[in-house]
Amino acid sequence: MTIRWQSAVALGTAVAATVIALPQATSSRPRADVQVSVQPERLNVVGLPCLPGNLTLTMTNTGSEDRYADLTLDPRGPLQLSRTLFSSWLPAVDPDQPVSAPVEVRVPRDTRPGDHSVDLEVDRSRLTVPVTVNPPPPKDPGSNVALGEQATASSTHGNFALCGAVDGDHDSEHWDTLTGWNDGTRAVFPDNYDVTLATPTTIDRVELYTLDSVRYPAATNGLRDWDVQVRSGSGDWRTVAEVRGNTLGHVTSTFDPVQADAVRILCLAGNGNTYSRIVEVEVYGS
Amino acid sequence: MRSTRRNFLTVTGTAAALALAGNLPEVGRALAGATGRGDRRDPFTLGVASGDPLPDAVVIWTRLAPEPLAPFGGMDRRPVEVQWQVAEDPHFRRVVRHGTTRARPESSHSVHVDVRGLRPWRHYWYRFRVNGQLSPVGRTRTAPAAEAIVPELSLAFASCQAWWEGWYTAYADMARRDHDLVFFLGDYIYEFGIDRGIRPNSNAPWMTQQTVTLDEYRVRYASYKLDPDLQAAHASAPWVVTLDDHEVVDNWADEAHPSAPPAQFLVRRANAFRAYWEHMPLRLTQLPKGPDLPLYRRIKYGRLADFDVLDTRQYRSDQAYGDGTKAPGPETKDPARTITGDAQEKWLLDGWSASRARWNVLAHQTAIARLDTRQGPDVLVPMDTWDGYEASRARVLGGAVQRKVRNLVSIAGDLHRSVASDLKLDFTDPDSPTVATEFVGTSISSGIDGMDLDPGGATLLQENPHIKFGNFQRGYVSCSITPQRWISDYRVVDKVSVPNGTVSTRAKLLVEDRRPGIQTL
Repeated sequence: MTIRWQSAVALGTAVAATVIALPQATSSRPRADVQVSVQPERLNVVGLPCLPGNLTLTMTNTGSEDRYADLTLDPRGPLQLSRTLFSSWLPAVDPDQPVSAPVEVRVPRDTRPGDHSVDLEVDRSRLTVPVTVNPPPPKDPGSNVALGEQATASSTHGNFALCGAVDGDHDSEHWDTLTGWNDGTRAVFPDNYDVTLATPTTIDRVELYTLDSVRYPAATNGLRDWDVQVRSGSGDWRTVAEVRGNTLGHVTSTFDPVQADAVRILCLAGNGNTYSRIVEVEVYGS
Repeated sequence: MRSTRRNFLTVTGTAAALALAGNLPEVGRALAGATGRGDRRDPFTLGVASGDPLPDAVVIWTRLAPEPLAPFGGMDRRPVEVQWQVAEDPHFRRVVRHGTTRARPESSHSVHVDVRGLRPWRHYWYRFRVNGQLSPVGRTRTAPAAEAIVPELSLAFASCQAWWEGWYTAYADMARRDHDLVFFLGDYIYEFGIDRGIRPNSNAPWMTQQTVTLDEYRVRYASYKLDPDLQAAHASAPWVVTLDDHEVVDNWADEAHPSAPPAQFLVRRANAFRAYWEHMPLRLTQLPKGPDLPLYRRIKYGRLADFDVLDTRQYRSDQAYGDGTKAPGPETKDPARTITGDAQEKWLLDGWSASRARWNVLAHQTAIARLDTRQGPDVLVPMDTWDGYEASRARVLGGAVQRKVRNLVSIAGDLHRSVASDLKLDFTDPDSPTVATEFVGTSISSGIDGMDLDPGGATLLQENPHIKFGNFQRGYVSCSITPQRWISDYRVVDKVSVPNGTVSTRAKLLVEDRRPGIQTL
């Protein structure tokens, strides 16, 4: 969706003589020279804590002078945003240079399905993004009960998202930019990545995707040794499966059915002895 | 030298200098909403600062941010009038300058007042007022008159203040001691996201993501500047600041960073520079124009010292051999490569040609001294320091020798360790004459507690005979400079992992006039 911004609001305040005036390039006077687009045009979200809807906001300076601009976001109804402001310098260049920033949209788990919106504003001109809240995906027998559930970790590298390993994307080619968890303590083990399930669930299988792309094969960059652990009630973590010496991108661990509130991947060693890298953790019951 | 108070008031043109707090006239217009009438939130949550002293001027700074981590700092998006006062005494009985300026939303409601008409080499106190609320009081000091040789100058320098890695105990110590001037030499913030640390709230949401956009850099500065010890250090003396890599992103070089193609990276750089200027006590002459920040500049302290404040990030060639720690080679020696850029190098050398100062000081980011980090005959040096730009180093040190620059002293940071060195024209030849002296200060907090001598520090001392002192604790350097000698007092903190660490002097190092090189006191 691309909209040429129009504005008709005059600057409200006259400049007093005592002011240290800044160059006009930094003025916030409304001008019709910032073009805004949002991808996707409409957003669907569900009430899962680690499965936000993702919008990419883009501002493009179509005027003749470099400038700074502020894009404000106003969420309606139950919508929760990871940011309500996107400010940037926007160069005036030919061809136009779009400048983008991400925003995550979440709703509480018990949010009723319905239609809402996020209002965007630059230079007092507005744009509305419709957001539909859908029912959460069914957690039936046979479905991945870790999908979108709350993840926690011993640490997370600053370039990665904690939720990246429960976001439903297990494609290693999307590593770093779109998906995956990478711990934040280089060459220090163990690390752990935990997923708290929505309700106590009987499970018997964990599928783990570690980094295994053309550029970063699992044999040199993937997770090598780990334990699959579960926790139930107030009990301790209990190991239900062990993987050692792994060089593959996708490993399935099966075990006797067990009731679990939460699942932990206890990362013991990585190939290359640098980081623990998980593209996706999937948890299944029988 | 000193003008009388009557003369001074005449010069200011203010017939009735304002006296006590509470006598300031109200702002003429009623302001609604944030910081208007009825808004009782404290707008001065980020403290006050001053910087870049001249003999007759100093910049005073604050930022209105009643909710410093919220969008626009919790301010309405409209200009707000801010009153300011500069006095000769901490009780504001003798106000010598005052005025009204406007905090603007496009500058994050920061205020940079270039206060002119002051007298040289004297203390002043300053404060701001908005909507009846007074800011904390800051103390500052102007530079000496152009030809003056003041008997003693006290300065501190610091760098690398990773907030989540430790308490700013060093700043509390710096604020308690009487400094005329403070240099900050880079890594005021860290741009990457972190999710744990020494401090409560180290994993706060505004700390977990890397900063890329302007709103993100602004929040990062605000989160750092909330620290009371940092605010106390700013309020205690004028600061002269320059930046290093983490004010933008780790180890950037000119337009190059692996995170993005140059055009995209320059947008990030512009955002980072804008937020930097907004939060530092810098003049309008340092205001960035998009991705260009005119930062390198000369600060003169009479005939005692010239400070050449460098920017070795914005104009440097990309790091040799893909960065990291490597053996020197044709790339590090390539005369076409530069750490300063050609224009800054010429400005520096031309400045030296004209210098009449007793001490000529390079205030900059990282070590000039060679840092061989490998035990044994092999040599491995950092590609990000001047070791990666050997031709630049030779031109600058050689240029100083050719120009007979008196008492060249380099002060720097970046390494997260204290390193004091003799600077030589040829570091591979122990008989090469020492031509200058270098004091690298450790980090304020980056690296957590550290220790007196770590294995890396021991190797540096072993492999580099020109290094005379090393320490791997946190802290800063407090210096006393007279026409005859320079003393660097390495102040170190026993622990930054707790809020009540103890600060002590680890070493006092001496440089004498016309005798380059470190001497131990």
